[in-house]
Amino acid sequence: MQILAEAEDLPKTANIKTQLISLWTVPVFGVVFLIAFIAFPGFLPPMSPNLTADQVAAFYREHTAAIRFSMVTYDLLGVMLIPFFMVIVVQMKRMTTQSHVFAYCYLTAAVSGATVFALANIFYLVAAFRPERNPELTMLLNDMAWITFIAPVGMIVGQNLLLGLAVYFDTSQSRPRSPAGPVFPRWVGHFSVATALAIAPAAMAAIVKTGPLAWDGLLSFWLRNGAYAVFLVVMFFVVRAALQRQAVSEGVAA
Amino acid sequence: MTDVASPSTSDTESGAAPTTPKAGKRDVWIVFFIVPAFYTAFGIIFFALTRTMPPPRPDITTAQMVDFFENHSTTIRIGFGLLILIVGGAGIANGIVMYHMKRMSTGSVLAYSYMGGMAVGALPGCLLVAICFLTATFRPGRDPELMAFLYDLGLLSYVGSLGCFSVAYFAFAIAILYDRNEIFPKWLAYISVWQIVTEILAVPVFVSRAGAFAWNGSISFWMGTVVFGIWLSCVIMFLKKATELEPVDAPPLD
Repeated sequence: MQILAEAEDLPKTANIKTQLISLWTVPVFGVVFLIAFIAFPGFLPPMSPNLTADQVAAFYREHTAAIRFSMVTYDLLGVMLIPFFMVIVVQMKRMTTQSHVFAYCYLTAAVSGATVFALANIFYLVAAFRPERNPELTMLLNDMAWITFIAPVGMIVGQNLLLGLAVYFDTSQSRPRSPAGPVFPRWVGHFSVATALAIAPAAMAAIVKTGPLAWDGLLSFWLRNGAYAVFLVVMFFVVRAALQRQAVSEGVAA
Repeated sequence: MTDVASPSTSDTESGAAPTTPKAGKRDVWIVFFIVPAFYTAFGIIFFALTRTMPPPRPDITTAQMVDFFENHSTTIRIGFGLLILIVGGAGIANGIVMYHMKRMSTGSVLAYSYMGGMAVGALPGCLLVAICFLTATFRPGRDPELMAFLYDLGLLSYVGSLGCFSVAYFAFAIAILYDRNEIFPKWLAYISVWQIVTEILAVPVFVSRAGAFAWNGSISFWMGTVVFGIWLSCVIMFLKKATELEPVDAPPLD
């Protein structure tokens, strides 16, 4: 984005710049997440929930360093998506034809969701902290880690449905009085709802141990995580375009 | 619609308007209706399905705790499986309260405080017990001592997460008392103060294994639950009223 020279020091320019920086957390930390994902020895392929306690303990003994590297990375940087969620909140609050109740609900759900994400990696790290622990205990920690990581999808599902609703209610037209028009194109609403639906079945991962809904299954692992990764990539470009429109409409960029 | 139209034309023109709520906005109404729907599901999940309301006794043997998980395995899985899917409703319920608090004359500080307390409280207050109980029912053959650990961790976090909600009730009460926009009635603030009292009276659950102050006791559990039920009913009732009284043409919130 080309910031106009005369707008360089204006407060509204800083607002655009901080949003841009927050948005860029997505590709930067996305790469970091990808590295941590590949580095975890139990993701490619995902660990089966049907391993015995001794097999789980052996996994933590044999791969201690890689598990620690991967999960410390998630611990330190996993919640770095919060600035991105906050850009979405701020963009939802630019929608002129609604009360912004969706934005506040989205904000609350995003904060709650982050607490869950911040907990999951701790369980992996505790299991790896003393790999010589009684295998029954290591398996318990591993179960809690996987269940906390994969299954509590309610907050993400809620966030995406709220974003979808906000887009549907953003009915402003490009008129002389409100030149900006809708903040996001309408398909973003469908896309957000579709992502929520793709993620929802993973709640079953806390219940079943085999098949596509198990935590290592096609739906609960690959579709859930894949859909969210695609959502992040697409939303990076969508939000970047929205920021460009905001900057132009506010006279910050040409 | 023109304001000088004849009665007959205005009836036909605005034919759809009287059936929709006269005041309030459609997006706030959508969010509002999620609140009673979510808490109804919440009640069914905790009372009927997962048997955490009223909570099972703290003063039983390890074998009896294992029996509890065994006897209620199916309903725990259905109930908490559903909870982790729909828990976004908690974020939405908190979001609409925050929204109406921001409409008060008391400014945003207390609204944000309410959101902070409630959003963090979702993890210890309802998600952790779901994770613990789902982990317990995930592998029925686990060492009984570990089942007892999950039983205690789940129930103590569920009944004993005190501060997150206390800060939210505190912010809620102060906001209502100082508000001049009459968003909620003043007496709702005093019920919120009682909510804080019940949180304080739940402190002994971490010490007491039987009697009135145990996690299933008449004071620590029942009194708190009754007050919570009254409080929640009032909040839902007055969220409805606040939404009704909100002008349709109110500008979006800052």
